[in-house]
Amino acid sequence: MQSHTPSPDEGPAGPPPGAAPTEGPGLSRRNLLATLGVAATGGALALVSYRDEAQAATKPKAGPVPKKAQHAWCMVIDLRMCDGCKICTTSCQTRHSLREEQTWIKVYDMEDSTGGTFPMPRPCMMCENPPCMYVCPVGATLRTDEGLVLVDTDSCVGSRACMAACPYEARYFNWTEPLPAKKMPMPNTPQMPVAKKGTVGKCVLCADRLPQGELPACVQGCPMGVLYIGDLVTDVAVNSFGKTVLLSEFLKANDAVRFKEEQGTNPRVYYILGHGQDLGGEA
Amino acid sequence: MTTNPPEASLRPFGKPSVRWRLAVLALGAVVAAGIVAWVVQLRGGMGVAGYNDHAFWAIYIADVITFIGVSYGGAVVSAILRLTGATWRAPLTRLAEGTAVVTVLIGSALIIPHIGNPILLWELLARPNLSAPVFWDFVAVMTYTFASIVFFALPLVPDMAALHGGHAKQLGRGRTLLYAVISKGWVGAPKQRRVLAGALGLVSIMIIPLAVSVHSVLAWAFATTSRPWWHESIWAPQFVVAALYSGVALVILVVAGFRRGYHLEGLINERHFVRLGFILATFSAGYLYFTFADLLPGSYVGEPGVGAMFTKLLVGDLAAWFWLFAIAGGVLPLLLVAMPWTRNIKGMVLAATLIVPMMWLKRMLMVTGPASYDTITGAFGSYNFTWVPITITLAALAAIPLLLMLLFRVVPLMSIDEIEEIQEIEEIEGIIKEEKAGTAASRGGSSEAADDDARLVGATGGSHRIAGATGVLLLVALLGMLGVGGAAPADAATSQGPGAITIKAVEAGGSVQLSAMLFDSGGLPLGDQPVVFAFATKQFGPKEGLVSLGSVKTDPTGTAKLTYKPTVVQESQKFVVSYAATADAKPVTAETSIKVTSAQSAYRPGPPKPLAGAGKILVVALFAIVASIWLTLGAQVVRVRRVCRPVRKAATSNA
Repeated sequence: MQSHTPSPDEGPAGPPPGAAPTEGPGLSRRNLLATLGVAATGGALALVSYRDEAQAATKPKAGPVPKKAQHAWCMVIDLRMCDGCKICTTSCQTRHSLREEQTWIKVYDMEDSTGGTFPMPRPCMMCENPPCMYVCPVGATLRTDEGLVLVDTDSCVGSRACMAACPYEARYFNWTEPLPAKKMPMPNTPQMPVAKKGTVGKCVLCADRLPQGELPACVQGCPMGVLYIGDLVTDVAVNSFGKTVLLSEFLKANDAVRFKEEQGTNPRVYYILGHGQDLGGEA
Repeated sequence: MTTNPPEASLRPFGKPSVRWRLAVLALGAVVAAGIVAWVVQLRGGMGVAGYNDHAFWAIYIADVITFIGVSYGGAVVSAILRLTGATWRAPLTRLAEGTAVVTVLIGSALIIPHIGNPILLWELLARPNLSAPVFWDFVAVMTYTFASIVFFALPLVPDMAALHGGHAKQLGRGRTLLYAVISKGWVGAPKQRRVLAGALGLVSIMIIPLAVSVHSVLAWAFATTSRPWWHESIWAPQFVVAALYSGVALVILVVAGFRRGYHLEGLINERHFVRLGFILATFSAGYLYFTFADLLPGSYVGEPGVGAMFTKLLVGDLAAWFWLFAIAGGVLPLLLVAMPWTRNIKGMVLAATLIVPMMWLKRMLMVTGPASYDTITGAFGSYNFTWVPITITLAALAAIPLLLMLLFRVVPLMSIDEIEEIQEIEEIEGIIKEEKAGTAASRGGSSEAADDDARLVGATGGSHRIAGATGVLLLVALLGMLGVGGAAPADAATSQGPGAITIKAVEAGGSVQLSAMLFDSGGLPLGDQPVVFAFATKQFGPKEGLVSLGSVKTDPTGTAKLTYKPTVVQESQKFVVSYAATADAKPVTAETSIKVTSAQSAYRPGPPKPLAGAGKILVVALFAIVASIWLTLGAQVVRVRRVCRPVRKAATSNA
């Protein structure tokens, strides 16, 4: 049992407004297909997409009334604990058979305003408004209803428009023949992509593991418990130590921030700032 | 030397000279080398072309912009000069339009090496993403290509008719057949001329906004990202001016080449070059101005990203290249036109020779600079030239003269009909002038426009961004607050250690009321002590994780209460309460499990992307515009064909 010490007179229940932005009932956006369908070309346009909202990754088309998402995956990165060992990067590269320079989760040496540096892991931010998805000319980047931004490498033409658009430099191209898969061969899915020459790749938050309740490779590998995989729906997050926290309260109590908030991307990765200090919080 | 357009047009159709054959062979070899390089790139991946994650866009996209850009020369010389009634254009139009078609085709083809997985390029048609600028690039380029071909092909009808009758020997079998098919039914009747002039007028109006759209959308592929120096509103107009500038330069080079190769000095003279030079100077000044306007605000404010980019560009390691462009690609050509002693054919050709490669260099800087900037570290990567992209670029360059030489083996080099029409008009005007010779004779460019269509008002272009701001209703999440009992003054009993704790959970009204009772070892309620509530989850693995809900102090009756809004419906949800008298004491715990029947997601979506709805309306509007453009262009071809039909019937019935 972990001790949890917010100020005792504070009511702990309910999602704090600070962690998740103000609630808005999603504007009733109609699929563009519906609009174009009026133009009497229905069938031929079935494959046309207008990528501005979540798609079901497994099926080409979502049902007429999308079921309410069971999960909203996110990540919390507690920088207070990070010592920059880069085991997250290597764990990821092993699992996804990546080259050394393909750092789907990359540990940057960031400079603070006093001239010091601190390590900062950067996975895919799984933006709720993903710029990479809007610019893909063939709709190969998609966003699942659970909030995972994934790439269908069977459709990717390799335009690299997504690499231009990503404000987090989180996308990596297969400029040459990719390394052979280390694990047993699996079918190529957006959730567990098989790298292909001439297509783009990026962090998938180990989307194939999450439904099984398994941790992403980076989270599992982190020896410091820096990385938490979380679910905004169930309001739970966990790190490699098995430390399980009430996500909204954890973010609020530790003044979590998001990277490049000004880009309007609504990233689903939260950072808890600090560098090894004991702030008297959760750590 | 000839001044006879049909004779000049027939000249390339004769037995090719040794020089012609050698030129075709050499250019063909360069193109073949480019194809070999492309195959090498296909096998090895784009890495062999010097690309990497810190230079993800580079030479090929600069090539695409350059080649599609130079095709604008055709649009300018033909369309704008036609619309403004500049009669001196006549001997240049066919060459200019041919150059436009050839270069736009090469430019479009250069997208193929730019793409990492070109085998899937068909998806742009089959499963496009309508919110992507690159898709609209493709639409704009294809539409412009179609318009260029129509604009090139329509005037061929009267020209081919003119050559078909009476030049069978020079034409040869293949061309005679082709010309017969294309010019079938054309007799030059007034109605036919009126329809053709109308169609050409309309297409020349349409091709101008189309040309503007192509380079605008190309620029927006960059400007719609958040990268420093790409995310600039001036990029679209700047791209358009750059394209016009380099396009006029290429027309000068092509005209000079064909004039020399086929001895067209009688038809094309210094006057033509100087006038093209004036257009060049206008665009040169315009482009220098746009470049300055592009760089000033970012340099002045000095935000980290743009600041780093412009430092590298203006005084850093790209500075030599940038200033080379500015001097050789902007200032020198302007001076060559401005100074009277260089304002001649040699001077204009020299200016054009400088401009074409320098404009490629500028595009290369604009593309590769920001593409190599890491927006997180602020460091620059680098693009590494290899022989592969250089060979492909040279092949594309060689393909321009090669395709033009082959093209004008098939179609007439001169727009015979247009030249003769203008000559007739000028003759008539000359007669009128002579008749009025009693008054003071006026010299100079008095040529009235051939009646190119003021009556046709094009319904093209302009897309409207409908910026409908949508009001967003914001609901504030109501938090279930729990009143915590005020602490009573501590009594002596609190010093006793804990004995037991109990927990009770009751689901009511969508939330779970948790209450715990804390007793000391004597069985008395323990007040003013923090107990910690938690629930258990197995979401992340089979091992149960306890999620703390926070600590609550017990009241004097030893009771602590907490309201929890469950997020998951579950058959059995376990709740735990624990109490530890001190940090290192062994806590006493109690647990209970209840069925949770109603749950509410804790997730609150962020605000929607601004103007998302307007984007969809824009897409529908764009589709309507593009469809109407294609239909209108197609209709012009049909129109010209149809006006030939009744005459054809009459001709066949006579025969």
